[in-house]
Amino acid sequence: MNSAPKPESATSEVLLSISDVQKYYPIREGALQRVAGHVRAVDGVSFDIRRGETVGLVGESGCGKTTLGRVVSGLTDATGGAVHYNLDGTLSQIDHLQDLQARQFRRNCQMVFQDSFASLNPRHLVLDIVGRPLRVYNEASSGDLVERVVELLEQVGLGRQHLYRYPHQFSGGQRQRISIARALALNPEIIVLDEPTSALDVSVQAQILNLLNDLQAERNLAYLFVTHDLSVVRHMADRLVVMYLGKVCEAGETQSIFAAPHHPYTRALMAAKPDLDDDRAGENVKGLDGIVPDPARPPQGCRFHTRCEMATPVCGWEVDDVVRWLEDEPGMFEHLSGVERQSEFNAELAFDSEEAAAKLSMAIRSESVPAAMKSALKRLKLDGHKVDIEFEAVDEVQLTARDGGRLASCVLDPDEVAAKSQ
Amino acid sequence: MSEITDSNFEKASVRDTAFRVRMRRFFGVLQRLTSNPTTVVGLVLIALMLAMAIFAPWITEANTPDAYQMPRDWGAVRKPPGTPGHWLGTTNEGGDVFYGVIWGSRTSLQLSLYVVGSTMVIGTIIGSVAGLVGGWVDEVLMRIVDVFLSIPELIFALAIAAVLGPSFTNIIIALAMVIWVKYARIMRAQVIQIKQNDYVDAARVIGDSKLNIYLKDILPNAVTPVTVQATLDMGNVVLIGATLSFIGLSEAGIAEWGVLVSEGQAGIASGRWWASTFPGLMIFLWALAFNLVGDGLRDALDPRTEGR
Repeated sequence: MNSAPKPESATSEVLLSISDVQKYYPIREGALQRVAGHVRAVDGVSFDIRRGETVGLVGESGCGKTTLGRVVSGLTDATGGAVHYNLDGTLSQIDHLQDLQARQFRRNCQMVFQDSFASLNPRHLVLDIVGRPLRVYNEASSGDLVERVVELLEQVGLGRQHLYRYPHQFSGGQRQRISIARALALNPEIIVLDEPTSALDVSVQAQILNLLNDLQAERNLAYLFVTHDLSVVRHMADRLVVMYLGKVCEAGETQSIFAAPHHPYTRALMAAKPDLDDDRAGENVKGLDGIVPDPARPPQGCRFHTRCEMATPVCGWEVDDVVRWLEDEPGMFEHLSGVERQSEFNAELAFDSEEAAAKLSMAIRSESVPAAMKSALKRLKLDGHKVDIEFEAVDEVQLTARDGGRLASCVLDPDEVAAKSQ
Repeated sequence: MSEITDSNFEKASVRDTAFRVRMRRFFGVLQRLTSNPTTVVGLVLIALMLAMAIFAPWITEANTPDAYQMPRDWGAVRKPPGTPGHWLGTTNEGGDVFYGVIWGSRTSLQLSLYVVGSTMVIGTIIGSVAGLVGGWVDEVLMRIVDVFLSIPELIFALAIAAVLGPSFTNIIIALAMVIWVKYARIMRAQVIQIKQNDYVDAARVIGDSKLNIYLKDILPNAVTPVTVQATLDMGNVVLIGATLSFIGLSEAGIAEWGVLVSEGQAGIASGRWWASTFPGLMIFLWALAFNLVGDGLRDALDPRTEGR
């Protein structure tokens, strides 16, 4: 499970390029199914995958990593942006490919799914499952199909004795091997691995990861490794892309990100994963608090500021933050009768009594709200049973280039991030 | 690696061909089916009634010119069971009840095969299209299905048959028009559920054609509930068909159980019970047999018990 950094990876050619990919799902409401908004599952993500390298795509559930994996493999169409694939030296947009080129892309980009049981047709024998890609492309005559399938099975550590069995006769690890054999059948250049080991025992996980590493070395495969498990990705990925709420918040070489994360979210993710050989063992590490905000209404500024330990006044505090904070305050949220927004940063909160309104304006000046939020406050005016609130308007925090080809979207310097987390 | 290493099993399966393994699975279902005693009773009844239908011309001499018309023996009307030549008695018009019972099984078999066969195909196609295409096509098809489902089966079939005029063919048409919606419903639900499975996505990633994905991945995994419903309907259709015949929507004088029950019922008050009872018993047994087998099939094909 030891992946030495590949020296040529930085210079070798780009195999697949994702540029500003968006995937919005419409939210429909009412009898007429009017579109009331969009869930921004993937909201403008860009990165490249080079030949023979493993890119780890990490994030919590619901951050859009699986959706992005499906867009890359061509299962789902992006609603914006494009995925380009290197076909014979030129980058071509995958949803504009015609006949032969479409086939060429289809053969070269394969996928392994998380649920090994659901991804194998329960009525098909292993021979049918692994041999199917070969049949689709007339790669093997019925005579040597069996031999070709046996060859593939042997590459993933199975054998001839497994040919005529149904998926339910195998263990989870073996089924995942069958999935991998199917993905290998057409000799692809890239495999999208969608949480391939999440459903497996730890010991079996290690076997599958080793197998994937061996196959990569033999065939110069590229992997897009989608996972929430940082310890897995640490051993597998050459480069990491960390996603939060549909956006990339940090990207770069795996080693350097693990050595010093530049984004507080990456740091929190790493802290949330207790590591056995960590020298901080026994110490209580601060993990991630709170819930992921609604991706249909992503927070302003930095999307992570609502849960960030080291949020500053310029991180994008907004009206929604006050409402969210109110939700946890007993005796006040019940009295909130309406929110009239001028913008995301400016609104009038109406209460059903003047007393409650006064209580809010007192509370916001007290110590019970986050200090950063308090100092981002530009105006707070109590007017009868209404409270007028205005925050400093902030633009979305963009990804910026850092040392060593790193990218991160945080208003803080890496040193500050490191210092604040001590 | 923690794998099942039963060496005997492995050696055996190396020698197996795909065909043999598939047959073994089929026989597994058969074995589970026959391990249920009530299902076996149903199967035996069905076998007997099928034999009756197939060998009808050898059991009783076919009436000429139309074998499906009751033969009339005007010299022996209203004879009780046990009369020589008329073992189950005769009707008011001298029809041999035994002939009606035997040839009635042929009529019933035709009715159920035509109705269930055609509705299964139509329903499967329409349900698949609705489930696969989705959107407004699905919406339109399912609203049509809702209209059909909103009227009770028997009443609807009765109305159609009445409009078309009294004949046995029209009963078949009426029943087919009423029953297809059930299969469309079942199939649509199955297709929508199955097309979300990862193995369908896996087939798409390989690059297989939509038709192949439907035929190899979706359809074979969707047909189980349709098969069970079809078996149950083989019985129910005869029941409804007999009801329609009973109220006179079939031709008079035809060798059909419902017609015979109808013709014989006037005599029951006068003690001539046989003309209605024997055909009525056949309707009961027919419906019972297919319902028993349908229930058994549902259990035998249940994926939760299959091969685990």
